[in-house]
Amino acid sequence: MNSRQFLIRDLLVLFGLTGWAVALPGFASEFIVSMALTCLMYIALSSSWALFCGTTRYLSLATSAFFGIGAYASAILLEQVSWSQAIALGALIAAAVAIVMGAAVLHLRGTYFAVLTFGMTELIRHAISYFEKTVTGTVGRVLMVVPERDTIYFTVLLLAVGTVALSIAIRRTRFGLAMLGIGADEQRAQTLGVNTRLVKIAGFALTAAVAGAVGAAMSVRWTYIDPHTVFNPFIGFQTVLIALIGGAATLWGPLIAAIVFSVLAETLRLQVPQVYMMSLGLLLILAVLYLPGGLASLRTETFRGWRDSFKAWWTETKDDLSGEAKRRKLRETQLRERRDVF
Amino acid sequence: MSFSAWLELIASGLITGGIYALVALGLNLQYGLMRILNIAHGEFLMVGAFLTWMVQTSFGLSPLWMIPVSFGLLYVLGVAVHWLCFRRLTATSPNLDVFEARGLMVAFGLMFLVQNFISYVWGGDLRGYDYLTQPLAIPLPGGSAQFAVNKLVVFALALLFSGALILLLRTTLLGKGVRALMQSPTGAQLMGINTKRLHPMMFGIGLGLSGVAGCLLSMAYTISPSMGEPYTVTALIVITLGGFGSMGGALAGGLLLGVIEALGMHFTNPSLKALLSYVVFIGVLLLRPEGLFARKSRKA
Repeated sequence: MNSRQFLIRDLLVLFGLTGWAVALPGFASEFIVSMALTCLMYIALSSSWALFCGTTRYLSLATSAFFGIGAYASAILLEQVSWSQAIALGALIAAAVAIVMGAAVLHLRGTYFAVLTFGMTELIRHAISYFEKTVTGTVGRVLMVVPERDTIYFTVLLLAVGTVALSIAIRRTRFGLAMLGIGADEQRAQTLGVNTRLVKIAGFALTAAVAGAVGAAMSVRWTYIDPHTVFNPFIGFQTVLIALIGGAATLWGPLIAAIVFSVLAETLRLQVPQVYMMSLGLLLILAVLYLPGGLASLRTETFRGWRDSFKAWWTETKDDLSGEAKRRKLRETQLRERRDVF
Repeated sequence: MSFSAWLELIASGLITGGIYALVALGLNLQYGLMRILNIAHGEFLMVGAFLTWMVQTSFGLSPLWMIPVSFGLLYVLGVAVHWLCFRRLTATSPNLDVFEARGLMVAFGLMFLVQNFISYVWGGDLRGYDYLTQPLAIPLPGGSAQFAVNKLVVFALALLFSGALILLLRTTLLGKGVRALMQSPTGAQLMGINTKRLHPMMFGIGLGLSGVAGCLLSMAYTISPSMGEPYTVTALIVITLGGFGSMGGALAGGLLLGVIEALGMHFTNPSLKALLSYVVFIGVLLLRPEGLFARKSRKA
């Protein structure tokens, strides 16, 4: 397939999935819709995360900061402005914070960047809870103006579809290629004339805008928010986890993983929440060790590769245990010695 | 503020700082030697604390006996974790950058796994036991200061173990090998230093130290399955203060952070404690990423 056919295929898949999701509230139960809402939220978050972090390989842990900023923005503003304006403002504020944060930290790579974004998230969380405690005098906020359930659902759906469409589009632009180049070799990209600083900050702000918009849309679902719930580092961790397990460099990986995890979460979380989290951790370790490309890179050859390496390992262990390896070595030595005689 | 009040404040800062230093040393050993930024470090500390609590409450054994036991158990656990995860990671990663990123992810997975395993087994409640809680008055010039005995014991032991690790690295042949590997992995391997033996061992010692720190913490504070994460973050702050890979720096950084927190809390407001440490952390990372005490600048 050439790139045009890929584009058509991706758009068709997206169109089909969207149609399905639009029809869902019409026939499904309350429980299924709420599960789908969580699922859509993680699709938007992890696709937007993969859009920047997957291509440039900058591991950002700041998603929960942008999510929380969006949530707070809509909680504060929703009494004065309309629903769509509140979401746009949430996205804008998160993007503005990301630009400032990105300008400060995006020259650092690797672990430094990951640790620093995590630190900044915690700093924002503590700063907001301190501000709320001392200035407004409350820890949490109760949201009075809450839109219909369907409004929230369709807004989050729109955001999720928009994010996936955006990643389809950006992959085909110079901007997307520049981000890929930064991920492959930043210095080379710079030498070839990419303004890496600008591209990185723009990509980071884009991720943050989506996370902020999702946060703004999701805050009304809880009707009561406090810094601990909306800035929960777990939201950021789970986003990263989903994107990595699905395959951060791929388009559909985060989406597949988000669906799998939401179903897993809803079925396991009610009975044994710890088992859900444990399986999350275990899956992440297994994915990093045995499937670095993520679920989306799973092919028949992958299974064949696993089978072959398992077979090789088994033969080696068997030979070691039965003393075959030792005997083989002895035979080789004897052969060499015999050759030396003549 | 009188002189003795100052001393008391600084001493209480040093006591918390001692624990910070011990936690940070283990993490720094793992990061400095193997480039594994073990985010799950605090979780293993929590495992040590829970083991001590369990043995103390069910058998009445003194927590001091649990120090070598939790060190040993976590050492074995560390070697096992290294064998199961990081051995394969080292073999399959194309370069150090990729290894570092993947190691961070594996550590994330471990964090989820360990924390939730403990909370599944023992539940999420706060727990604790009493051990040497009586106060001890120490005469100082211009008055006297009061400290709980257990905190003094904790401080002394934390310093003892940190000192022991630094001595081990400075004076023994084993330590020389580890320092050589930190300086230049390839060069050290060419000189016949066996990475396959040293890496699991040092990973185990790092985890063992976090087990000791958890054991000490459980003597003086209440414990819960979510206690680990703040300590991981604190340890990260400390090793940034001291410089990644520098052992003396981590010890000094831990004590310094304890004092900064104590002073900051006294002069502003206790709810600012976390905010303050993050400000210090981000400030240091942005302005001096090579650490406060580094003499010559190295590439970050």
